[in-house]
Amino acid sequence: MSEARDTIFAALEAARPAGPDAPPAPMSGPPMPDAPFDVMASRLAQNGGRLVRSTRANWAQEIEWPRARADLEHLYSARRGGDARQSGDLACRGVGLITDDVHALAPLEVCILEAEFSVVENGASWHVPQSPQERAAALLAEHLVVLVAATEIVPSLHEAYARIDLFAGPFGWFLSGPSKTADIEQALVLGAHGPKTMQLVVLDDAHP
Amino acid sequence: MGHVDRAREFVRDEARTRWHDESLWFVRAKRDLAADTVPDWEALRSQAAGIKREALTRLPALWREFEDQAHAAGAVVHWARDADEHNRVVAGLLEERDITRVVKSKSMLTEECGLNPFLEDRGIEIIDTDLGERIVQLRNESPSHIIMPAIHLKRGEIGELFHQEMDSPAGLDDPNELTAIARLDLRERFLAAEAGITGINFAVAETGSFVVVTNEGNADLGTALPRLHIACVGLEKIVPKARDLAPFLRLLARSATGQPISTYTSHFRSPRPAESGAGPAPELHIVVVDNGRSRLLAEPGFQEALACIRCGACLNTCPVYRRSGGHSYGTTIPGPIGSVLEPSRDPSAHAELPHACSLCGSCTDVCPVHVPLHHQLLTWRSHLARQGHHPRRRRWALGLAAVLFAKPALYRGVTRIGRGIARRLPTALLDKFGGAWTRQRELPPIPRRSFREQLADRESATTPRATVERKSR
Repeated sequence: MSEARDTIFAALEAARPAGPDAPPAPMSGPPMPDAPFDVMASRLAQNGGRLVRSTRANWAQEIEWPRARADLEHLYSARRGGDARQSGDLACRGVGLITDDVHALAPLEVCILEAEFSVVENGASWHVPQSPQERAAALLAEHLVVLVAATEIVPSLHEAYARIDLFAGPFGWFLSGPSKTADIEQALVLGAHGPKTMQLVVLDDAHP
Repeated sequence: MGHVDRAREFVRDEARTRWHDESLWFVRAKRDLAADTVPDWEALRSQAAGIKREALTRLPALWREFEDQAHAAGAVVHWARDADEHNRVVAGLLEERDITRVVKSKSMLTEECGLNPFLEDRGIEIIDTDLGERIVQLRNESPSHIIMPAIHLKRGEIGELFHQEMDSPAGLDDPNELTAIARLDLRERFLAAEAGITGINFAVAETGSFVVVTNEGNADLGTALPRLHIACVGLEKIVPKARDLAPFLRLLARSATGQPISTYTSHFRSPRPAESGAGPAPELHIVVVDNGRSRLLAEPGFQEALACIRCGACLNTCPVYRRSGGHSYGTTIPGPIGSVLEPSRDPSAHAELPHACSLCGSCTDVCPVHVPLHHQLLTWRSHLARQGHHPRRRRWALGLAAVLFAKPALYRGVTRIGRGIARRLPTALLDKFGGAWTRQRELPPIPRRSFREQLADRESATTPRATVERKSR
């Protein structure tokens, strides 16, 4: 193994390709648009997702549920602050209560996540799963709901990476829309492997 | 069989050729719309190109940094000089753990290395989970496009394939229905997999992280469930800083499919935490592969091709690719970028690919990282000619042309005699000398006098005054 490593490094050292001495100065992205949530909504829609503006008090009444909330059998909730697993009718239930084998989460109907922030330019939200279950739930559930505070938006990925600390944990991702494919004759199909719908709920208590 | 022969097979079906052409042009048009929404698009391209060019000058330092950081984060880094070594490293990791069921998300590197047949020969089941790749895997084909592997197939053919392979009802052709069938089948395989293999879009030296991008979420399901994740990466796919990801990710999906970003942009750094309960500890292994990349890096005319981020924009825009199909190239990576990369791997096998190009330059225009593709294709032609890879007939013809073009008097004499003979021969006979040019068109009538003679006639016929006026314009 180390023989392969040595050979490769020797070949790379010997190659000495021509190129600039220094990287380009980092660029800044586009400014924050006048109506950021309209831009976000349209970019997210391009990826098959739906943006909902609501409040912390009312969002659960305003988003779309696959069926009556009380009837849901399997719900995973990973809201930050307080013990989300225990809180009222949005608590984890069914296989959502599972804390060991991630495979057992397969029957999940809805997964609720809380993103750290969202990117206006592309409608993507940065999410850092707090457990292997949280990440698997986001992929196995049929319907994904991502919550983000209206104050936590950045105009583009340049500002996003200024906020992200990749050293902080094992994994983090941008989520933009449901799992989708266009591999059959370019026809867009939502729900290739993971969620069939994705709603990004922007929480703004000043929102009417 | 070369590119020309395979392309001839492809274009035999005119309706399909037109459909294929239009499908890809549709994607190119979406790319244009997306690029137009970004006011600083050109600055972004220059930024990304600059980052890659600079990174390529210090790959050893960047990979050392990556390796240190990845180790510190709990990942294991392996090195492979060529395809065979890569395959043996991956197989070794699986066999040491008695793993026989593996899911893989799309990775052109593992295609290039022939990983699937290598593992299958050892009794390891490897399932491609990207829908397009799964389709071509079931057909025992290779992908015909680097991001749309099944772009050459029609929905009815996929319905028939699923009917044969997955017992779905005959005659299905609705993409929603077909995708649902594949979803059910693949969900079972995700749940049963003992290891997930992915490619890597970007490795980050600074943090030892890497980024994998998909729309389907297949790379994520394939790594969120099994406890072993093996990520395979080519030497060129490294960027220095986390902040460098911003320009590349702003360019990648827009250039590829016209999306503002892919659905899943996942940043891996460490093995995932262990769940409570029994089971082996999760592991993360990264296999870094050379397989000809260091050789390309040493080639002055071609090293910029290593900046490629595999978006596929050059394929979508290429008039030859669109009309001849990905399989006509006979390579892992087709289209303009494939025609630049593959001859360095095997010059004699792929010497014709740089000629599968009209030098229109559209590939260079759309490349998000400024790879000078059509210039490189032109450079390849002379390189390969000098190395003796031209077919004998072309060698003779070009040798003759070189002599004639160097001696104007000889050229004039030979072409005068040639015109005289050609004017007396029947068209059907002349067309035989035209090669590909006269296969679908006729030669125009051969004029009696050369262009220069005709021009001289006209010059002397115009009045001196008119000549002066024209010159002064």
